[in-house]
Parts: sequence; C-alpha cells; structure tokens
Amino acid sequence: MTTPGDNSIDLMGLLFERAKELVCLYQVQDLTADTERTPDEVFRDLLEIIPPGWQHPDACWAKITVESTAYEPPGVTETPWVLRSPIVAAGKHIGAVEVFYDRQFPKADEGPFLKDERRLLDHIARRVGRYVTERRQRGMLRNFRVSMQQAPADDRREWRVIIEFLRRTDPHQLRRVSRRMINYLVWSGVAEAQDLLKHLGANQRDRDRSDENRPIERATVDALMRVTNAAFRMAANNLSDDEIVHVIEQWVKDDKVGFLVEAGENQGTSLREIADALETFQQMGFGDKELSRSVQLGLRVSLVRRFLTDDLEYINTAKNYMHVADFCDIVQRVVSPIGSRGKLGGKSSGLLLAYHIVRRSEEYADAIGAFKMPKTWYVTSDGLGAFIDHNHLQDIHNRKYLEIDQVRKEYPHIVQAFKNSDFPKEILKGLAVALDDIGDKPLVVRSSSLLEDRIGSAFSGKYKSLFLANRGTKRERMVALCDAIAEVYASIFSPDPIEYRAERGMLDLHEEMGLMIQEVVGTQVGRYYLPAFGGVAFNNNEFRWSPRIQREDGLVRMVPGLGTRAVDRLSDDYPVLLAPGQPGLRVNVTPEEVTRYSPTRIDLINLDANRFATVLIADLLKQYGSKYPMFKQVFSACDEDGLHPVGGFDWDGSTENLVACFEGLAGNTPFLAQMRSLLRVLREKVGGPVDIEFAHDGTDFYLLQCRPQSGSGDVAPMAIPRDIPPNRVLFTARRFVSNGRVPDLTHVVFVDPVAYGHVADLEALHDVGRAVGRLNKALPKRQFVLIGPGRWGSRGDVKLGVPVTYSDISNTALLMEVGERRGGSMPELSFSTHFFQDLVESDIRYLPLYPDDEGIVFNAAFLRDAPNQFAALVPEYANLASVIHVVDVPSVAGGQVLKVLMNADQDEAIGFFA
Amino acid sequence: MSKPFNPFEMAQAQFDKVADILDLDQGTRDLLRWPIREHQFAIPVRMDDGKVKVFRGFRVQHNDARGPNKGGIRFHPHETLDTVRALALWMTWKCAVVDIPLGGGKGGVICDPHHLSMREQEGICRGWTRQMARNVGYLQDVPAPDVMTNPQHMLWMMDELEVIRGHKEPGFITGKPAGMGGSLGRTEATGYGVIYTVREALKLLGQPIDKMTAAVQGFGNVAQFAVQLFTKYGGKVICVSCWDNQDQKTYTFRKTDGVTYEELIGITDKFGTVDKVKAKSLGYEILPGDAWIEQDVDVLIPAAIENQVTGDNVNRISKKVKVLAEGANGPTTPEADKVLIERGVFVIPDFLCNAGGVSCSYFEQVQGNMNFYWPRDEVLAKLDTLMTGAFHGVADLAKTKKLYTRDAAYVIAINRVASACRQRGWV
Repeated sequence: MTTPGDNSIDLMGLLFERAKELVCLYQVQDLTADTERTPDEVFRDLLEIIPPGWQHPDACWAKITVESTAYEPPGVTETPWVLRSPIVAAGKHIGAVEVFYDRQFPKADEGPFLKDERRLLDHIARRVGRYVTERRQRGMLRNFRVSMQQAPADDRREWRVIIEFLRRTDPHQLRRVSRRMINYLVWSGVAEAQDLLKHLGANQRDRDRSDENRPIERATVDALMRVTNAAFRMAANNLSDDEIVHVIEQWVKDDKVGFLVEAGENQGTSLREIADALETFQQMGFGDKELSRSVQLGLRVSLVRRFLTDDLEYINTAKNYMHVADFCDIVQRVVSPIGSRGKLGGKSSGLLLAYHIVRRSEEYADAIGAFKMPKTWYVTSDGLGAFIDHNHLQDIHNRKYLEIDQVRKEYPHIVQAFKNSDFPKEILKGLAVALDDIGDKPLVVRSSSLLEDRIGSAFSGKYKSLFLANRGTKRERMVALCDAIAEVYASIFSPDPIEYRAERGMLDLHEEMGLMIQEVVGTQVGRYYLPAFGGVAFNNNEFRWSPRIQREDGLVRMVPGLGTRAVDRLSDDYPVLLAPGQPGLRVNVTPEEVTRYSPTRIDLINLDANRFATVLIADLLKQYGSKYPMFKQVFSACDEDGLHPVGGFDWDGSTENLVACFEGLAGNTPFLAQMRSLLRVLREKVGGPVDIEFAHDGTDFYLLQCRPQSGSGDVAPMAIPRDIPPNRVLFTARRFVSNGRVPDLTHVVFVDPVAYGHVADLEALHDVGRAVGRLNKALPKRQFVLIGPGRWGSRGDVKLGVPVTYSDISNTALLMEVGERRGGSMPELSFSTHFFQDLVESDIRYLPLYPDDEGIVFNAAFLRDAPNQFAALVPEYANLASVIHVVDVPSVAGGQVLKVLMNADQDEAIGFFA
Repeated sequence: MSKPFNPFEMAQAQFDKVADILDLDQGTRDLLRWPIREHQFAIPVRMDDGKVKVFRGFRVQHNDARGPNKGGIRFHPHETLDTVRALALWMTWKCAVVDIPLGGGKGGVICDPHHLSMREQEGICRGWTRQMARNVGYLQDVPAPDVMTNPQHMLWMMDELEVIRGHKEPGFITGKPAGMGGSLGRTEATGYGVIYTVREALKLLGQPIDKMTAAVQGFGNVAQFAVQLFTKYGGKVICVSCWDNQDQKTYTFRKTDGVTYEELIGITDKFGTVDKVKAKSLGYEILPGDAWIEQDVDVLIPAAIENQVTGDNVNRISKKVKVLAEGANGPTTPEADKVLIERGVFVIPDFLCNAGGVSCSYFEQVQGNMNFYWPRDEVLAKLDTLMTGAFHGVADLAKTKKLYTRDAAYVIAINRVASACRQRGWV
C-alpha cells in the first residue's frame, strides 16, 4: 500500500483541514440547535464562527442575510472575492450566507476558494435555512397553544380556535388538516363525512362517464372554508376534544417531517443529504412513534431502501423494528464517497435488523438476556466504485468474464494493484474519523456486499474479513486500515466468488461491496486480545448426533477466542457443538472423546506482533491460566474420572489436562436457554431460519452477524424428484435426514448386514473393518458410499457394527447405517457418534436407513447380485467377498452414477442412478 | 460363517476345554458353564422433556463360591445378555487366577450416553441401584466402571444405595475417585502389575532384569507405568509405539540406549501422541508402527489393543525374545500362540499379566470396608505380593503339569472356583 503521506495526499495536512472544518461545523450545529438564543444573537455569533473554517481566516469575514435583515461585522467592505450560498426555508429563498476575502489570493477551485469550502458553506446555508424553518414552526405551535389557553373555557373546546389559528398562520396546512379530518371521520364510521368527501373532491363517481376527458372544476376558497367548517363541526359532534387536538398535533408533526420524507423518497438525494435531514429530524425532539402510522412506516421504508436494501421481505420486517431514530444513529458512522447513493450491504443489513428485532422484542427480554452490538462503522457499497474510479482501474470490472484459470492467474496482481492505490479523500476523511472513534482497539474489516443478502446465495466466507491489531501511531493505524480495505475490496475479483456467481447465473449482476469496520469484541490477556469465546448458531440443526435432537433444536458451533475457527470447517481441530434445544446432550461423552474432540488451537490478536494469530490453547493457558476470561465457564479439567470444574477452591492450578469443552457455560449458566430464545425470536420475526455469529468478551454477549440460514451449495435442501422409475432407485430414507447432495458416487461399498451377522469368528469381524480401511485407500476419494449394518466404528460389541476408526473411512463421501429389525427389536444406530465431529469437519454426509419402515425402498438385492469388485481390489481379504460387496456403479448402470439427494425440510432422501 | 459370533458360547467352549483337562464332573460343569443368578429388570427414568423412558438393566452373577461377585457395569446401546454372561464368566476366572476372594459378575444397561443428558444418566444409575439394592453390596456383589461408565456413575450408585440402606457403605462399589473412597495407586496398578510378573518370569528364567531390554507396544496408561517400573528395575526399554492423532497412524519411537518414562511423557500431548519433532531432537528414531515387534530385545510387551501378535507377524519376533507379557487384552491370536509355544517363548497371559487393575479394585473395596485407607506405597507393596504369588501359582502349575502358561492360568483359576464349590458342598 502506498502510504497516503508518500503520495499526493498529505495525510497530516488533510487531517488538519478536516479538524478545522469539523470544529466549524460542530459550532454551527450547536449554535443553531440552541433554542434559548434569539435569532439575532445566533446570526451574530455565526459571523464569528464561520471565518476560522476557511483557508485564510485572517482575511476572511462572513455576511448573513435573512429576509430583509443583513448581519455583518462592523466596518467591512464587500470585495469581488466572495463565496455565496442561498438560504432556503419552506421551499423559498429567504436570503444568503456569504464569505468574503478582503484581499486577493491565488486561484483555487472556485476563485480563491477550495472545493471543500464550497461544501462547507452550502452545508452552513442549509442549516441556517432549517433553523429558520424550525423557529417558525415552533412559533406557530406556541401561538396555537397560547391561543388555546387564552380562549374562554367554552370556546377552548370549540373547533373555531383551532381553525382560526390555522387559517391565520398557514392556510395550506389548514386545507391538508381538513382533508385528513374528513378521511379520519369517514374511517371512524361517521356517515355524513362520506357526503362531505364527495362534496370536497367532486367525486369521480358523481360525474357522467362522458365527462371523463373534461378537467375537474377547481373548488373555490369559500367552498373549501365551508367544507372545513363542516368537517370540524362534525368532528366536534363525534370526537372528544382531546382526540381532535391529538390528531391535529400528529398531523402537524407529519407535516413538519415532510423534508425527511422527501429526502428519503427522492432517489436523487445523496446519503449525505439524507443524513442532514435525519439530523434535523433528531433535533425536533420527537420519535417517529409520534407520527401517524402511515407517515411513520413510509419514512422507515424509505430509509431502509436507501441505506439497506430493496429486498421486499426484508423491508416488510424491518419497517416494524427499525425506527427513524436508529437511522439517526447509523448515519453517524457511515463513510461514503461524495454524492453517495450506495447502501451498507447485506452483512450490515442482516446485523442491524437482527439487533433491532431482538432489542425491540421486549416480551422476550428476560428470556434472551442482555446483549450488545459491537461499535461498527460502515463504508457504503459505492465506496468500491469510487476507489476504482479514483485510481482509473475501471477495466477490472470485465475481468469476471475471463476464463476462471485466467481469473485465478490475475488475482494476485489485482490484490497488489489495489494495495498500491489511493483512496478518495472523502473516504480517507471518513476512515480517519472512524479510527478516532474506535481508538486503538483491534478491529475487523468485513465485506458487506449487495449480493450477500440475497436469499439462497450465502456468500459466506467467499469475500474476505481481515482482523487488525490496530496498534501504533494514528498514521500507522490508518495505513494498516487502508491496506486491509484494499485487500477486502480485491476479494470481490477473486476466483472463488466469481466461479460461485457464474455457477448460479449471477455473474452479470453488478456486484458492489460495502464494508463493516467493527471493533473486535474481546479483552486483553497479557499480550493477547481475545473474546472469551465466539461462534456461530443456527436455527436448523443439520448435524444431529442423536435421534433425540430435532432439527429445530438448533446448533451452536463455538470455540474459545475469536469465532473464526467456528465459522470455517477445520481440518486439524474441532469446535464444540451444542444443541440449544437439547442442552443436556453432548456429542462427546467419555473422557477420551472429550479430550480428543476439544479445540486445541485458538485464534486471537497478538498485540505485540500487531497481528491476528493462532496459538496452542495449552501454551496460552500455561502462560495466563485463570486470567483467561470466563475461565471457569470455558475450561474443565479432564482425567480418566471425567470432567471437573476449574478455577474454584478445589482446583490445583494445573493447566495440564484442561479441555475447552464449555461444560461450565452449558451446565451452570443460562447461555444455552438464552441462545435458544434468541434463535427462536429471530426465526419467528424474520420469518425463517437464520444463522448468527456471536462473541462474548467476558462481560457482555455480542451479536456480530445474522443472515438467513439458507444453506448453500451442497448443504442446501434438495428437491426430491418423484418421477424416478423404480428400477433406478437404490434407496429412499425418511428419518433423521439432513440437507445436502452427493451427486457423483461411482462406487458403493455394501457390508451386507445379514452376512455380517453370520460371521462366527471374532477375528473375521475385525478383518471386515481392516478390509474397509483398504478400500478407503483404493477407491476414488469422495466418490464412494459406505453402507453397513448398525453402528459404524462400534467399539463395544463388534457384531453390531463394523469396527473401523475414522482413518478407515476418511475418504468416503457418505456414510450410511442400516437399521434392520432383528427378532422384533430395532437396533439403535450410532449416528456416527464415534467420529461424528470428524465427519462434520470433513463434510462427510451421514444418512441412517430403516428398510423396514413402510414405503421405504432399499434394493439390497441389487447390491448383492451386481458383479463384486471387492476381491479384485483387496485380494488379501478375498474370503470376505460374501460379506463386503463393492459395486462399480457406471459399469452396471449403463454409465450412470449414483446420485443422493437429501432434504431435511421434508425429512426425505433418495439415492438413484442418473 | 453360518452361525453368528456368540461371545458366551466362545467363553463356554474355553471352559469346556479346561474342564476336560481338570476332568470335572458333569454337575460342576453344569454349574460353572452358566451364571448362578441373572437379574433383568426395567428402569423407568423421567427424561428431560418430562416423558418417562424405560431402560433395560442387567446384572449377571456368575459364581460367588469364592466371595462376593465383582465386575463392571456397562452402558451400551447394543448390550446383550450373552455378552454380559461371557464377561461375568471371565471375571470369575480373573479374580480366581490372582487368588482374590471374589467371584465374577457383570452388568449393564441398554442405553447410549451420547443420547442422554447427565441428569438422565444419573436417573439410570439410581434406578439401577434401586432395582438391585437387595442383591448387591460389599458382601454380595461389588460393581465397578466399565464401557461408558466412570467414577461419577459409581458415586451416584453408591449414594443411592446408602440412602436405601440408611448407612454408609463405601465398599459397595469401586472405581471411585481418591478422597471419595477410591484407592491410591489405581493409576499405576495395571502397568506395575505387568512388570511384577515380568520380573518374576525373568527370575524364573535366570535372567537378571537389569541386563534385559524390552519393546513396548502402546504408550497409554498401562504402557507408561510398565516403562516406568521396568527402567526403575534397571532394565532398558528401547522402544514404544504409539498412535499419532494428527497422522491417524502409529509410529514406533526407538532409542537403543534406552527410553525413559519422564522423557517421553514430557513430549506426549494429552491425546497420547508423542511429538515427532521433539522426539527426533532427543535422539529417537521414528519407525513404522509395527516395528516394535521385530526389535532385538528380551521382553515384548504388547500393551495397546487386541489382535496384535498374529499368524502373519509372529515370525518377525526376534530369536532373542524370552518373555511376552500381555499388558493388553487378547493381543495374541491362537495362530500366533502355536508358534510361540513351539519357539518356547514364555507368555504371561493377559488375564494374569494385566490383573493389577482388578487387584487394586479389590484393595479399594477392602479399604472401604475398613473405612481406613492405605498410603500409595502400601497399596503397591500389597499388589506386588499378590501378583507375585499369582504368577508363581501359574508358573509352577505350567511346569509341573507341562502346560502352556495360558492354559495353566485358566486351569488354576477354574480349579480354584470348582474346588470352592465342592468345599461348600454345592457339587
């Protein structure tokens, strides 16, 4: 990355200018928000505040003209070197703000003035305009209340006071209020109001059809007054005084937020302008709940569309939970290019919606417990475009259409090109503010692309997320942040997502990427920074290790430290799996299992080395022991007697045999119950299953991400075809089915349950296991299925299942257990508990088969009768050929392969030749 | 391959063979071929979801002529009565071969703890105890941990029994943690027991143990303490083999000038995997997993899993090997046995060689009954005496009756049980 200081942008100079501008802006803001001062005082003070924001403050003075009054410092003379911006209130020009230099300066962007100074002045003029508008509105409301109070008691209850007041101050508003009152009366079931409505609108239905092309006659002012009078007389007869006052107040407020409605609805407004409008709204001092329902929802919807997404389902939910005030908070932390009309992207939208849903589900507050969202800054999706344009890299957009090998070859160069590019000044400024806000806490830059929130295409892990220790001087931190953002930006052009998009026909969609710059949840432990634990949780449990676990019981995958190790499948380690709906059931039961399948490594931030790192948990504990956050909840001591709590009086302080199994958390805290409630509320309110990412810093629980749990690629629910001819079906299954597909099986290894049951010699039973181990090496990886009796990997009685270890089956694509009724009892299948976690991490699918169930197909005869390749593949165990059948599918199925489709929603699976 | 494998029939066939050697009468055979009592019962348990589930429980008491029954309780989803019967039979012989005053038993519950919460497992333990309370106890039948049960399960069972009895009875069950009625020395017991018998075997062969070399298969609990004691006696262990968790295969770690327990344990992680890099830097050679069997040593100690010395590899055993000590259960197949007999290798059969564990269980029960617990050294000294006596009993019989040691061990065990039945006037 080119450091900003090395190149065209002088970072320090830039920061200094920004600071000046900010000071000026904040002061203008404070001043115009001060309702105590008179306008005279405000305008005079503004004359003092404005010049220091300019490049040559000593030579600078300001003039403000409002209506016919001009404010300027004494003894000044107007010069030709002036920057002028009009003041607009309620749509009318009412004056101007001007800045003069008293002498000539070298030519800059606009005369001697800078581009930034033009923006600053425009902003100030807008604020002044709004100040004037608000003052007027406040004045009107005050007058209204005063006239109400001053009127005689009888009159006070009369509609005349109201009407009179509005007629005097704002006839336009009176007309709008009258119309709304008539509608209100109609909805309230007042029959006469219907007639009035007809009268008012010269209702279409009253017109002859032949008159359709003739313009409607305009109602006269007198006529309107008559209608108004009639409407309020009717209101007085049918509604209480309080109700009339209440609705009028609401409508006046609705009117007041017209500017915000307009800003949101007008697709031409930039995010900055919407942000300004939101700021003004905030200063009005009331929430959107005080507006009428339609205005409230309209506002929320327009804000969701502008900031988050156009997705209708999303909007439909979000409008109930995301208030206008929430957007006021969000815009404080948005970084965007000039004139941005971008969005925050899928990941941000998902998190914001989930956060507000849960926060506003007060009825579940106790069940869910306290939770937080980490401090987050957002870079809008058009930031990437601005970055590309700024560096003239536009040709990059078409790279996605290259051959994938070419994409792969070019990608490293793209990364370097991005890292050596500059950021637009506006974005740099925004990032500098973000860094000031986050301080020196570690942070993570997450992609938040527009495609990421599309249902059915979870881009999980396709784009980069980068962790930064965020240590050093501000300049060093800024350089590191820019470097990380460039790398995340480049990942949109990396071969994996391009291939993924091509496969799903989404290549032509214009992909834009927003970013989240998030404070890393955690706490400092020595030279490391880490959360107590992190992980992901799913509404639907697609990896059930016990038949007692329902799909709806959910799944939590968690690890100590950063959740990165729980998000990805691990080849060399195991996250802890828990089912919130069945908190008592553990994947690992015996001390050996717990030891073998507990996490051994931890992801964290090494503050000394200033980077993300992975270390051995044992080493970390040796050094810091019980200083680890939530030590008692995360770790247990494990010996041959079982698990023991640590950290208490009985604990000897040894970290030798500690395992990160979360027994303390699962057993002694409401964590799982709260997680269950959280998942349930989200499923209910979002209207479908979700997956979330979370972390705990030892004090608070944080929600980090939320998105629909669509399942992607090979773990999506597969449509079960109904029209497969029976002779092409090898099996069907209807119990404990998970999602997924295994599309390309060329070999079936079938350990015949009947023949296996008749093996009399213990040694021969063990030989079956050994022979399977040989086949595992001989057959094409992930292209064969193992079908066998009862419990694969049985460690007790080997009669009940083939005695194999994980290394004997590691190359299979699918493991199937056949539960056939014997002598009236149905054997309990293992659900592959012996190596369950190995299967999960290697993405080996598991499917139990119950051939005795009604309507289930299992064509064992086909497997028994097909030419058996077993002896040829493993000649040393040829004597077991009657027990183990190996079928080369293409050679017996006319070139077809075995395809397995599984659908957990329907609890159905099918294996057929295709 | 027409008839399914049945462990109980296999155990009976083994008994029949020895009964012929002992020329037992039909009545004694009929008594000893079958368990003397079998309990089968239902255990209703209130599950976490509020529903009641009924589990099947068993307790088979094979023979208590020599003393209270002793044997584990297994939690296994496919438990069958025949498996439990076979295991109870073997427990009777195992207790008899080391001459401890206990009979054999075994029990279990058909269940899979993978599908049960701890609270539900506690319900099963307490339910089992309620059903069996009248038929178990320190003078009747003493359970212990087995497949998928651990000290926690034992404590729940003990607690339930004590509530029913209205008094303390720590001798009711063994495998408890030290401090809660468990015995010190339990961890070392099996591995040390192996070496006590090896020491006696070498003595018998006139070989000084401090000049001897050994190769050990495995580096789990049994192997670790076997290595520790063998080197303490001055012998030299030149290799151990062990499972590598990352590579999913076994390696043999060899150091011809001798390995030590301390050195190896220092580079072993909690999964029992020895760090290959550190081992190399400490001067270990890393050989294939099965290299342990072909080492030029005096003693071979298979202390890992069953079926390791087979017809295929028995001939790779060096001519130098004098003693094969079966630290594991069933490490030698019958084909290999034939070759070992021909070659005159002194085999210390598994149920004698690794009986240190059950012996320590017996000590735990005795200490519990007295409510007086011995220091570790006292436990191990008593274990030495017991194992030494048992070894010589078998060795003497093998010599005088010219029997293979494995057969001699069975003969002495079954004879002791048969004789107790006779003396009691049962047969």
